[in-house]
Amino acid sequence: MYHQGYTDRHSLFKAIITSGVCDRLVILMEDLAQIAVESALDAGASFADVRIENTHSTVIEMVNGVTRRSMSAHLRGAGVRAFIDGAWAFAQTTELTPEGMRGVGESATKLALAVRPLVAERFEIDGPTFRAKEFISVRRPFPDVPMEEKMEFVKQIDMQAREFDERVSNARTVYGELWSELYVANSLGTSVYIENSLPRIISSITAREGANRQRAYRSVGVKGGFEMMMEEDAQTVGERAARTAVDLLSSVAVRGGVYDVVMDPVLNGVMVHEAFGHACEADGWPAHTTVLEDKLGQSVGPEWLNISDDPTLDCARGSYPYDWEGTKTRKRILVKDGILTEILHSLETASRLGMESNGAARAESYAHVPIPRMSNTFMEPGDWDVDELIEDTRHGLLLCRFNYGYTNPSMGHFMFQAQYGYVIKKGEIGQMVRDVSLSGLILEVLSKIDAVGRDFELDAGTCGKNGQWVPDMSGGPHARATEVPVGGM
Amino acid sequence: MREEILGIAEIAVRHAERQGAEQAEAFVASTRSFTIEVENNSIKSAAERCDSGCGIRCVIDSRIGFAYVTTIREEDVRAAVERAISLAHVSVPDPDFGSLPSASGGYPVVERLYDRAMANLSSEEAADIVTRMVDATKESLSDYKYAIEAQMRTSRGGAGIVNSLGIEAYYEGTTGYIYSAPTIKTEDEQTSSSEYELARALREFDPEKVGREAAAAVIANLGGRRIENDKMPVVFGPIAVGSVLGGGFGGAVNAEEVQFGRSYVADALGQQIASEHLTIVDDALSPGEVSSRPFDGEGVPSRRIMLLEQGVLKSLLHNSYTAQKDQVENTAHASRSSYSSPPRIAPSNLIVQPGRGGLMDLVEEVGRGILCRDTGDRPNMTTGDLSALVMEGYYFENGEIRYPVKSTLIGINMLDLLRRVILVGGDVRRTSEAITPSIVVEQAQITSG
Repeated sequence: MYHQGYTDRHSLFKAIITSGVCDRLVILMEDLAQIAVESALDAGASFADVRIENTHSTVIEMVNGVTRRSMSAHLRGAGVRAFIDGAWAFAQTTELTPEGMRGVGESATKLALAVRPLVAERFEIDGPTFRAKEFISVRRPFPDVPMEEKMEFVKQIDMQAREFDERVSNARTVYGELWSELYVANSLGTSVYIENSLPRIISSITAREGANRQRAYRSVGVKGGFEMMMEEDAQTVGERAARTAVDLLSSVAVRGGVYDVVMDPVLNGVMVHEAFGHACEADGWPAHTTVLEDKLGQSVGPEWLNISDDPTLDCARGSYPYDWEGTKTRKRILVKDGILTEILHSLETASRLGMESNGAARAESYAHVPIPRMSNTFMEPGDWDVDELIEDTRHGLLLCRFNYGYTNPSMGHFMFQAQYGYVIKKGEIGQMVRDVSLSGLILEVLSKIDAVGRDFELDAGTCGKNGQWVPDMSGGPHARATEVPVGGM
Repeated sequence: MREEILGIAEIAVRHAERQGAEQAEAFVASTRSFTIEVENNSIKSAAERCDSGCGIRCVIDSRIGFAYVTTIREEDVRAAVERAISLAHVSVPDPDFGSLPSASGGYPVVERLYDRAMANLSSEEAADIVTRMVDATKESLSDYKYAIEAQMRTSRGGAGIVNSLGIEAYYEGTTGYIYSAPTIKTEDEQTSSSEYELARALREFDPEKVGREAAAAVIANLGGRRIENDKMPVVFGPIAVGSVLGGGFGGAVNAEEVQFGRSYVADALGQQIASEHLTIVDDALSPGEVSSRPFDGEGVPSRRIMLLEQGVLKSLLHNSYTAQKDQVENTAHASRSSYSSPPRIAPSNLIVQPGRGGLMDLVEEVGRGILCRDTGDRPNMTTGDLSALVMEGYYFENGEIRYPVKSTLIGINMLDLLRRVILVGGDVRRTSEAITPSIVVEQAQITSG
């Protein structure tokens, strides 16, 4: 259930705002937002919106049993966009007072008016309006959990990793929590309040045997309260990272070449995210910067392939009920039976492309502009049994988890790196390999998928685009891609 | 601005001491920035940001807590101090923590950190610079169907540090960035490229040059092919060297990573780990450079540090914590990208000492191999294994570029890469991670498919 006590202590929604002018005057976020929007319209904007955010986050980092970096952050401010005839401007403030909001609305509009003569394409912003207050319901809100208890949890994960094996030479454990309130309003009439609560635990391990050093990491990130850190996968994250790092001591570097590759659910998710998801973000259409521009409604892969982006999943780190423009979200089916059916929209891209907005605009914070982003992105399960899939592969690689990945949708290529993998020989799993990089072309990769497992798993991540980082998840079943270039030493 | 910033930092430190901190440090910064963006060949948006905040570090019995707030109002800063103190109370004491740094005389004067023209740039002037850059890109692409994304970003700000041990330091600076990224489409393919410049002073920008070079680079990317898997030499252009050495070597000589045994250069201090052609310094005092600064993220006076001298590893990058732990001199590399980050360790201006010749001279001398213009990859910092996608690059033969490569990876361990540097060019440029010329690595595994 929702804890009222949490609101009283931290909420801006019913906050007491003090300023030199209005001493202890109770002003609703809604009123502040209205002032910003109206001052922008009065100054000449044809559309304006505002995000007011109040976020508290804590990070505890422990290395080999010692607290290295513990951090508590408070982010509070408002960002305003003013729009006129195809010209956008953005301004932000931390002065959450009527004067501050009026000032920021006016300066954004002044800037939009300066940009207006320079724009080439005129368009309008239109879309559905929403009015909602969505309170998050968690069992143990972060402020109700004593800091000592969080520290104990981190110590326990750290200890668990270090006691796993004497070859564990360095254990780094990071616990992070983020509690956020966001109020979005726009001149079309949208007024939406949402909350977010994201705990995460990361274990990053170095194992050593003589001169041989290997590293591995595991993380668990969900949407919910501190109670989610008591679940088994969070409670065992240190041990699981340590096991992989120790196992990697007997791994070998893979021989570079072209392989048939079975990706585990986590790596498959990274492939879907990097190799395809980014190219489905609709801002690439008016900018003409995605290789998928002419592919809407066309085949991009085999008919058994389905890819979705779903911000409505329960407890998922990439979920949100309304986006950062206040648009209600829904599941987006990007690829249906191999056809590119839907892309990820902001109000702007939906308006310009004449499509329905689907709530994919996200911003890192009030100080950033919302842009189309993924949420929880995954390949839908198919019908292969995983053991049969590996046996059927005969010769190739089974690749697992990931270190990182990136893509360039306008060039059409991508790259991602598995944390570890195994050689598949005569249909059986053999030698462990490490740091295996895969690259490919967005327009080719999906057609190389020839078998999709019936299992499913999502993994927590953080995705960067245009300098903005947002929490997300990606995953899917095991899947096989044929003839993929794999980098080796 | 100086008085306001140091004043609020002072209030934070005194408040922390009154609340029970044995030592405290406040880092206060205030930045105004302006961005103008181009989509599909014309200007579309602009943004103004004012970002002021305070980061506070408190020490109680070798237990450390850090907090920040995105304002510099006194009441918010006091609340942040109290949060830092509560965090310190529940932390585990760090036996290796000695002390925050203490004041040690004056600060070096680093010239040309602040440029009035950059600081006072109007939105009209910024629009003019971006338009000139985009026009230059357009001009070279008149034979193609194109879409150009571009950006100009400028910022000016001041940052100050005060701590309980007498440190009180402040400086102001400006930075700017211009960027043009064209995408072109032909009957059967689409490709893109980009070019950029970073500078502290407005007069250093050459928007027409950036525009022309972005266009030349995207045209050069047309007609990408896969190649046969082979071992061959790799010429890394300056942007690629920035990624591979700036991130991949600059991160490996971080003393904290070395002390924890997480770096591939662990235990190598004083040893010949690289080719004698390679000399790398870190110089925070270099006049007008984008990462120059009179003091580091803990208020310690900046210095020029020899990292790699003709291949011999001479020093690591330290902050006060790692220097005290190793009982060596602090190199002043505590790094803070903002008031919101607790001090870590990072290079300032990582400078690769140039040799001779331009990029094409190196290609001619090497004969056959891969020229990698750009990669987004970093090595595994623990094992040193690097598997790098050639984001933009070309196959060359008989000293001449034949065609761009696609879906091609370079595989090599960083220690091998460092040892196999056979040539260093003279074509120095400033990238976001290093100031460097091109380098030639004798041999790496090339995989394409």
